[in-house]
Amino acid sequence: MTRISPQLGPMLVVALIVLALYWPLMYLANIPAAQRALDTGAALPCKTAFECATQLRSPVLPSPQQLWNGFRNLMFPLNSPNAIPLNAAVTALETVVGLLLAALVGFFFAIGIVASRAFERSLLPWIVASQTIPVIAIAPMLVVLLGQYGVQGWIPKAIIAAYIAFFPIAIGVAKGLKSPDPLSLDLMKTYNANNWQTYLMLRFPASIPYLFTAFKVAMTAALIGAIVAEISTISFQGIGKMLAENSRASDVVAMWVIMLSSAVLGILLVALVNWTERLVTPWQRAKVAATPMPKQARVSKQEGG
Amino acid sequence: MVVQPSKPALSRVLLDWMLLVLGFGLLLWFIAIWWNQSEPASDAQKLLIWGGFLLAALGIARVANQFVNTTNPVIGFTPAALTLLVVVVTAEALLRAYQVPPGLIPTPSRVLSTFFAVRDVLLQDAFQTVVLEALVGYLIGCGLGVITALLVSRYVFLERGLLPYATVFSSIPIVALAPVLVKMVGIDWQSKAVIVAITVFFPVVVNTFRGLTEVSPLSLDLMRSYAASEVQQYRWLRLPNALPFIFNALKLGTTLAMIGAIVGEFFGANGQGLGFRIQIEAGRFGFDIVWSAIIVASLIGIAWYNLVAWLERRLTGWHVSFR
Repeated sequence: MTRISPQLGPMLVVALIVLALYWPLMYLANIPAAQRALDTGAALPCKTAFECATQLRSPVLPSPQQLWNGFRNLMFPLNSPNAIPLNAAVTALETVVGLLLAALVGFFFAIGIVASRAFERSLLPWIVASQTIPVIAIAPMLVVLLGQYGVQGWIPKAIIAAYIAFFPIAIGVAKGLKSPDPLSLDLMKTYNANNWQTYLMLRFPASIPYLFTAFKVAMTAALIGAIVAEISTISFQGIGKMLAENSRASDVVAMWVIMLSSAVLGILLVALVNWTERLVTPWQRAKVAATPMPKQARVSKQEGG
Repeated sequence: MVVQPSKPALSRVLLDWMLLVLGFGLLLWFIAIWWNQSEPASDAQKLLIWGGFLLAALGIARVANQFVNTTNPVIGFTPAALTLLVVVVTAEALLRAYQVPPGLIPTPSRVLSTFFAVRDVLLQDAFQTVVLEALVGYLIGCGLGVITALLVSRYVFLERGLLPYATVFSSIPIVALAPVLVKMVGIDWQSKAVIVAITVFFPVVVNTFRGLTEVSPLSLDLMRSYAASEVQQYRWLRLPNALPFIFNALKLGTTLAMIGAIVGEFFGANGQGLGFRIQIEAGRFGFDIVWSAIIVASLIGIAWYNLVAWLERRLTGWHVSFR
């Protein structure tokens, strides 16, 4: 806990500044829209543009009161198929399964890239290219194809999530496998270590920090993939389904609420990766505790003087 | 110390190429005899196609070894081009053998002919999506990202107050942001540029900051003992140290920018753009046009990624990972 406390003050200050700026910004953005709504002569419960700014049906920026109401409507009851908790859980499941699939594929490609230049030459350009293919285009095809073999529901979405997420893992792990110092590699050669031993004892341990950095990026990517897959295919559950429904219904406040809750979901999932990292690599934490980053890296005067 | 591999014997080289040609021959022969057929092929023929694919793949794996040490990028690209060719020809043969309906997966030959028929429309779409939306957003996002990282690494208050938020923000799914932003900014290209800028901003900030601060304490002490000013410290130590990290973020950013622009168009576009085209045509089961648009997007994405990778090699050729 003591490690977090120096951040808490500045973080709160920044949060307060942002919150304090939100009200004037909200009025600034909404008053023209409110004025237009008043000018059309619609029967509104408010008289002036200033009052209407917080009660618009589709506000540019929703007022805190509107957000709170929307949040209450979408959050409860907890087990309703139209509320956020159940849908978020489905999306989270798709994301995590997708990430695990992606880790398998990513490791395979990373080892291929590092072990064989021929593999890199023949496949790396297409690994990169696979990322520029908008998943939304292949998602419906993939779902129909898998449906023919009886694979339905959340599994196709997990596969699409894996399709997006394997790229950061492959690139990150490849970088990590290449990261050992040439001196260390020479040392392994001096010990007459074979390829397998070099990987097991030098390259894999060296790639672990890179792996978890890649996992954090990949987790977000997988979440994006899962949501996109839900939007672009027929789905009955998930954050993406709620997003598509409310986007069609032009329910702006609900869209904001869903956006904020999917943000929370993303943060929780990345926190899961962080927690796993601490569990799996305790020596990293020990290193951080022994040599606190700020001291060695800051442009500080107190040491130099 | 570069170990020169001994030249493989000519007979081995010929054997490798023979494998490749044999595999291709099998696949092409099947496509030729099945060009105008409309019923599925027999099991033996399907087996033949898979056999041809395996032969060609094995051929590539062996042929590629001859290209490992070429520095010429065009010749070095040969294995990748062969891989693409094998995949395309195999897909064509399999789709014809199994008679998959074109409304589900169109054959590559059909996609190519459609591509030439609609290329003008697709080029206009690509201009809107890539130049206006992705490139503008990418430049703004990366520029602001690097500047923010410089400020954050300099001022402790900002590091403590802003960086936690940047880390948090980079774990937010952008697709959820897209519909809100499109509603807020409007359906023209600006809203997509904003989406792209936000998408690439956070990875750039986090990576650049790491590069700027993960400096070896020894080098920092050396700078201090030379009485280097802060500007000099940044110019000669921190920025060079950060370059590999920045380029990592820039490379990931290219694909993020393309996806951001295309996904953004799904939630509202002004009648142009690759994402808009893909969505409209996918809804009408016009998957040949969808794949044509995908080809355009991929070609541009590859070119863009390689441009950044080339810049990286020019600017950070001294780094360990290139040795």
